[in-house]
Amino acid sequence: MNTSTSCSTANMDRMHHLLASATHEASEAMKRWTNGQVSLTLDAVKETPLECVSEEADLGDELLTMVVLTLDGESGGTLILAFDEENGRDLAAALLNRERSSDPEWSAIEKSALNETGNILGCAYLNALTRFIGVELVPSPPYFIQDFGASVLEQALMEQAMCSETALICQTRFQRDGRELSWDVFFVPSPGMRERLDQAVAREV
Amino acid sequence: MSPSAVAQEKKHAPVNMGQHVFGQAPDRFTSVLGSCIGVAFYHPRTHTGAFVHIVLPESLGRSGPEGKFADTAIPCLIRLFQQQGIPIREIVAKIAGGASMFNSKGPIQIGEANEAAVREKLAEAKIPILGEHLQGAKGRRVEFDCSTGILRVEIAGQKPVEL
Repeated sequence: MNTSTSCSTANMDRMHHLLASATHEASEAMKRWTNGQVSLTLDAVKETPLECVSEEADLGDELLTMVVLTLDGESGGTLILAFDEENGRDLAAALLNRERSSDPEWSAIEKSALNETGNILGCAYLNALTRFIGVELVPSPPYFIQDFGASVLEQALMEQAMCSETALICQTRFQRDGRELSWDVFFVPSPGMRERLDQAVAREV
Repeated sequence: MSPSAVAQEKKHAPVNMGQHVFGQAPDRFTSVLGSCIGVAFYHPRTHTGAFVHIVLPESLGRSGPEGKFADTAIPCLIRLFQQQGIPIREIVAKIAGGASMFNSKGPIQIGEANEAAVREKLAEAKIPILGEHLQGAKGRRVEFDCSTGILRVEIAGQKPVEL
């Protein structure tokens, strides 16, 4: 196991603080995008054994609608914004100011609305991380996926799996007008990004 | 081997990354696969089965549960059958997974590498592959039934397939 990816409790607390700041910036961007309706907060940062990740993330084997942004390069990673069908449709309808679609196929404009949401949230989050770690992070264009949540998270975890038996998982809570939403965002850093984050945490000590 | 390397609950056990499980009819094992490969072993005469959720092709001296790597996972399943006195020449295999998601076109294609490693290890052990459902860009939900030896594979938006 690569011990550089294991965190002490104190370092995990500092990591939580750092990622909470990034989440706060993402939340501010999200509020602007949704006319103040939707906000997010970081609940927990955990080092989780790979085999427990889907359970910890409460993904089960259900189909989800997701927007994925990837970061290439040494400081890489994957950011996944995930919704169940109902919540994804509700968001698209609210953003497009129209009734929720009952068509089983998502239209191009609905997909575009969700992609833009992922892009805004992801770019705000990654801009904050860029400042913390001192490396410019440029994400891929967002893409829309409908798939099993656990299989998408599994793919995102591949780089971590090559050098560690654990993964860093951030649990985030979304709210709309004070009501909890069934949305999730997962940020999965590559080992190189994880090292940069650990260095940023160490600098703050 | 860590206790979490083995899916504890049988009957209808979820098998997560790097885990393996061994059982008999009426046990059923389920898993969700992306670029990982699920390998089911089956002994038709005794309705005995095993399933492993392989994450990477080679251990290369890295630590981790035996089920995580193809080169340790296949020998691990073989050993479990041998311990029950089941002849390996009577075992058959079915495999699924190995997708390449996120439009990944980089030099490291884990799904393909996993598939190649699994095929190589099964060929070495002379275990025939009776069914397979591999590659593509989508995840899979699979269920293996020890009563029938059927591996049911479901891709989002498509009709399930039985191997």
